[in-house]
Amino acid sequence: MSDAALLGAAHLSVARQGRALLDDISLDLPQRGAVALIGPNGAGKSTLMQVLAGQLAPDGGAVTLQGRPLKALDVRARAQHLGYMPQRFEPHWDVTLLDLVQMRLADPAQAAQVLALADLQALALRRWSTLSGGERARGMLAAVLATDPPVLLADEPGAALDVQHRLALVQALARRGRERLVVVVMHDLDLAFECFDRVVVMHAGRVAMDGAPAQLLHAPQLDAVFGVHFERIVVAPHTLLRARSLSLKEKP
Amino acid sequence: MNPSIKLCCRAFAALALAVVLGICAGHQWASPADIWQAITERDTLRGRLLWEWRMPRVLAAACVGALLGLSGAVFQGVFRNPLAEPYLLGASGGAALGATIALLVPLGLPQSWLLPVLAFAGAWGSTLLVLGVARVAGALDASGMLLAGVAMAAMLGAIRSFLMLALSDETVSLQVVMSWVLGGIQTPTWSGLGWLALVTLACLLATQTLARGLDLLGLGDATAQSFGLDVARFVPRAVLLGSLVVAAAVAYGGLVAFVGLAAPHIARWWVGPRHRWVLPASALAGAVVVTIADAMARSVLPPAEVPLGLITAVAGGPFFIVLLARRLRAHGGRA
Repeated sequence: MSDAALLGAAHLSVARQGRALLDDISLDLPQRGAVALIGPNGAGKSTLMQVLAGQLAPDGGAVTLQGRPLKALDVRARAQHLGYMPQRFEPHWDVTLLDLVQMRLADPAQAAQVLALADLQALALRRWSTLSGGERARGMLAAVLATDPPVLLADEPGAALDVQHRLALVQALARRGRERLVVVVMHDLDLAFECFDRVVVMHAGRVAMDGAPAQLLHAPQLDAVFGVHFERIVVAPHTLLRARSLSLKEKP
Repeated sequence: MNPSIKLCCRAFAALALAVVLGICAGHQWASPADIWQAITERDTLRGRLLWEWRMPRVLAAACVGALLGLSGAVFQGVFRNPLAEPYLLGASGGAALGATIALLVPLGLPQSWLLPVLAFAGAWGSTLLVLGVARVAGALDASGMLLAGVAMAAMLGAIRSFLMLALSDETVSLQVVMSWVLGGIQTPTWSGLGWLALVTLACLLATQTLARGLDLLGLGDATAQSFGLDVARFVPRAVLLGSLVVAAAVAYGGLVAFVGLAAPHIARWWVGPRHRWVLPASALAGAVVVTIADAMARSVLPPAEVPLGLITAVAGGPFFIVLLARRLRAHGGRA
């Protein structure tokens, strides 16, 4: 692992009922950058995110944060360093957005300021059940980022959003990548290749490809991983992917 | 005036009103003037009856209600389930079994401390068992937990009934144990009441240490953990404290159903979902509810007394059904 890595994974493996969910995964993630994690269903993206966030202990291998093993940090220290946006978030009690941000902070008095910075003051006292999907996503992101964690891990944060709000959210995440490390599980391949600095492609619990979007976009291996033939449509300066037909299952 | 101060004033006014009403109510109704007279001069028989019997009884009911409300708020917070309740989850049943053992089984130890200790052991053990059963069955959702709790409560009830049949004799009459099972406030001496008030206050303060954790737990395990709560450590600690509160409530008031269910709902409706306020507000709501229910228990069928547990069950059962129906509708047929 290089010295510059902020978050590192070394030989991670997770197995459930004899099936390998993660199989010898090693990754180095630098101090800043927007990294998209893509792959077909069941590739192990969410499992990897949970392990990186310290939510799930790996069966083998280790995660390091600033060179120190993640499991040596207590939950509070982890919360300071890692922001985690889960795939689904539905609070059991109908809290307000201000409540949510206060719960994230050690000093609740700062919550109003956090919401002001995120331009969410108008929603501060609204209860969760009254917020729209887009407002919830922005509110949750503001709460997760309230402590300004060096690492943000987001698991398909835009999955339930309409196209406008998804784009706004993904762009906000990518922008943060200029200053901090942001790792996002993405299903929308075009957004992943367009907005992120680095794309990690997972398949069957392993890292199949890892590199800059321009390098990966034209690789035939991408078609093999997703089990389709992609048509590359060039709309300068971007290249869009369109699945043309199913390909026979083949291992990349 | 600050809205939260206004709210506090109203809540305490409601409690004061319930306490006065509770002291007035009974086999023979007293007027507020009688109460004042009993406080200032206690030489008449009526004054002494009010001072030595009714007032400590009513204040004890308020304390037991506060403990029940508090335990309900802790349990609903830990189980993240608005239908959770110490009575339905078997915790109260466990406490009652412990208390029955203390009353009926000659263990050669002083009953005054054996009873609360065994009540606590019963409440704690049965809650851990319900959690364990639900976890093993992979049914940590609301319905799985409630079913495990109902099964546990039924088993504990059966064991308790067996003990009552097998072990009661002339020295420990069934009546004493029955009054526990059906729920009823024992009239304490003023010094006994002082202890109960102290226990209630200690429980209120101790549960405040859970407030932040319960708030975070309500965000779901993943988010709670990522916001800095050690879920695996916090839940057993909260269950332990919650069981202590249940044990205290059962030790002083027997099995009283549904107060632990209703009080947190009233509290959340009053002060919102943050546990820093829900816990004390739920204690207050429980105190008001049990004070009124106990007043009814003493005045519905004079000179006899209706068990308190019957009154709360008759009033609380429909409340539970309404909550369940609302939840089923909101969650598409799943509790």
